Amino acid sequence: MPKPRTLSRVAESIYWMGRYLERAESTARLVAVNANLLMDLPAGASLGWRPLLDITGGAAAFDARHAHADERNVARFLAGDLANPSSIASSTARARDNARSVRDAMPRVAFQYINELYLFVREELAGQPSRSRRGAALDGVARRVQQIEGFLSSAMLHDEKWQFLRLGNHLERADMTTRIVDAKARRPSATSEFPPFEQVIWRSVLQSLYAMQSYLYSTQGQVERGPVLQFLFKNETFPRSYAGCLRSLKFGLRHLPRNVEPARACERILRHLDGAQLQCLDGAALHGFIDDCQIRLNALHEAISKTYFHVEPDAPRQPGEATP
Amino acid sequence: MPIDWQEYNAAGVWDELIAPNGRARPGAGQLRKMLARLSDAELGERQAAADLAIRAMGITFSVYNDESLGAIDREWPFDIIPRLMQWREWDAIERGLKQRVAALNRFIDDIYHEQRALKDGVVPRAYIEKSREFRPQCVGVDVPGGVWSHVCGSDLVRDADGTVLVLEDNLRVPSGVSYMLENREVMKRVFPELFEHLAIHPVDDYPRQLWRCLAAAAPDGIKTPRIAVLTPGIHNSAYFEHSYLAQTMAVELVEGGDLVVGDDDCVYLRTIEGLVRLHVLYRRVDDLFLDPEAFHEHSLLGAPGLMRAWRAGKVALANAPGCGVADDKVIYTYVPDLIRYYLSEEPLLPNVPSYRCVEKDERDHVLDNLDKLVVKPANESGGYGMLIGPQATKRERERFRRRILANPRNYMAQPMLNLSTAPTLADGRLEPRHLDLRPFVLSGRDRYVTMGGLTRVALRKGSTVVNSSQGGGSKDTWVVGEADPAPRARR
Repeated sequence: MPKPRTLSRVAESIYWMGRYLERAESTARLVAVNANLLMDLPAGASLGWRPLLDITGGAAAFDARHAHADERNVARFLAGDLANPSSIASSTARARDNARSVRDAMPRVAFQYINELYLFVREELAGQPSRSRRGAALDGVARRVQQIEGFLSSAMLHDEKWQFLRLGNHLERADMTTRIVDAKARRPSATSEFPPFEQVIWRSVLQSLYAMQSYLYSTQGQVERGPVLQFLFKNETFPRSYAGCLRSLKFGLRHLPRNVEPARACERILRHLDGAQLQCLDGAALHGFIDDCQIRLNALHEAISKTYFHVEPDAPRQPGEATP
Repeated sequence: MPIDWQEYNAAGVWDELIAPNGRARPGAGQLRKMLARLSDAELGERQAAADLAIRAMGITFSVYNDESLGAIDREWPFDIIPRLMQWREWDAIERGLKQRVAALNRFIDDIYHEQRALKDGVVPRAYIEKSREFRPQCVGVDVPGGVWSHVCGSDLVRDADGTVLVLEDNLRVPSGVSYMLENREVMKRVFPELFEHLAIHPVDDYPRQLWRCLAAAAPDGIKTPRIAVLTPGIHNSAYFEHSYLAQTMAVELVEGGDLVVGDDDCVYLRTIEGLVRLHVLYRRVDDLFLDPEAFHEHSLLGAPGLMRAWRAGKVALANAPGCGVADDKVIYTYVPDLIRYYLSEEPLLPNVPSYRCVEKDERDHVLDNLDKLVVKPANESGGYGMLIGPQATKRERERFRRRILANPRNYMAQPMLNLSTAPTLADGRLEPRHLDLRPFVLSGRDRYVTMGGLTRVALRKGSTVVNSSQGGGSKDTWVVGEADPAPRARR
């Protein structure tokens, strides 16, 4: 029998499934952590909920429909609102759509778990749940995504399809890490307006990324801007750090055929990171650096997409019967 | 309360398990005894176990649902009482089916080449020229081994006197075989003890046989061809089957967008390694959606250039385009003649007696007896556009009279059949329900017939509609008994 090949369509669906699952989880985590953070800040602090709109890139769409970026509106917009393409509800719906079309490429129960996540979100995050119910639901989303990813990790063949799932996960994760840091760090309020609360804000950044204990353990130090940036961008051993995600992307690409372009894009990101002196960057410079990160991540996405998902008639041809 | 077979009433029809005197049909004794030993509650438990297994195994068919969900998966409706056939009877049916499919393939090949059957007046030329299913694009194309319909599903029914008749042949994209295979898996879980005591012939060789059949169609004598199953996608009602067959044959399941036809007329898969050549496409997409260059120009279900590739002999399409010309319901009436003409043999399996409306005597008979007959249009399937005379209103019959007179070529008529029954669990009790049988015939280097086939049963009392979308269910089909020296051995 000829060697099995991974169809471009299947690879693409699995990749996007990985991205949307990751996006649903990080958005859930983001909303939950922000609600906690605000409880620790003085009433009337201008920080509020707007940064979350900046992080998820939905500010314009939000402003078109809402007058106030208050908790009620923003939380709903990010959680259950299907009109927001990057809400948890939209992400889980798209993860499910992608999973449905490749359910045969995964162990049978995988689709069932993803479908359960989708139904859970539809049930628990629709409308305007109470604060406590919302908190429990956001936690439920994160747990379910972790269950799915854990299950796939332990039950799927670790073949090329699996690598595409991981590429989707890690690209999304790297992207989200840069967005979270950007939104919190570039606000002047983070340093000037409430100086005593700077620590609180950086702590919430770490919590959004499940990074608190790892940070304290690795740095043996205080929660401060410089070391936090250093940790979240450069610590390769922390899986949600920018460097950690890139390392996974780099190793993942090694397992794929025809990987020259994507590997080159990945190297470019690593060199860009190596050259950065994060401790020396002030607010504006940090923002510029993060912009560059996102442009480079997007270039990697484009390279993956062009190489593997959009195989055109002039692509290299392989006679199917030649390879035993 | 266990069933009293004296009270099991299948009067006026042939029951597959129980003879009119309440005794078992030959070979069914043990099953009858075992069923009589089970209380209603125990039967209910076994049915519940089967339903659970079907859910756990994810055996579904899709029904389109207007709600935001789109197509939804329904669990496959299954009745736990098997339908039984003696191997000796089955063997004769199997030979009849092979004969039939051989003649039909000869006919299709002839129609797209010399048209000898038309020249010799076996089938009137006008029938073919006016057939909606005749494809000029297929004229002159040579297919390996002369096989056009690689997979045929013929529907068999049994009349009140016990005769097995062919109701129709599905030569295009017949479906249902995956349910036949899964029904057996479910039954092994539900009645393991019966499999110990009865010599039930296995059915699970089908995926391997299908692979062999498809491989034999490969162009250029390629020994290990790359094969794929082409599905219209996840919203198609038979998607479960498409993915089931792809998985059990270990071949790719592809959609139209996965295929590219190069300027070398070869068909390629878009893969992460680039374009990979494909040799055989088991397509589960209708002719007219296969290739926007040749047919419906807006279809996204196929790929532009597929017909060009097929005509150039660079890819095998199974079934080949143009097969529909032979599963037209009027052409069906000629199949016994075609068997005699091409094979010089007498047909082994009879047709249901049929009247052709295009011939004056027969048309007059049909028009005089519209209240007794079933009238069928030539090219519809799934029971659409039919007149069921005895159940129709006077107005409906008049409408059909006008339609027949306006276009006699498009209609044929058959007497109402009294389909056979088998004991079926209904509200916790065993009652007779009508059924049919769809065996699948594979044509490659040789011919293969499934052991039995898919039994479809009308779950509503008195109904003869067996379609799963309309209250039909299915049963496992057991071919039992001697004549095979090692019936339980796996090949």
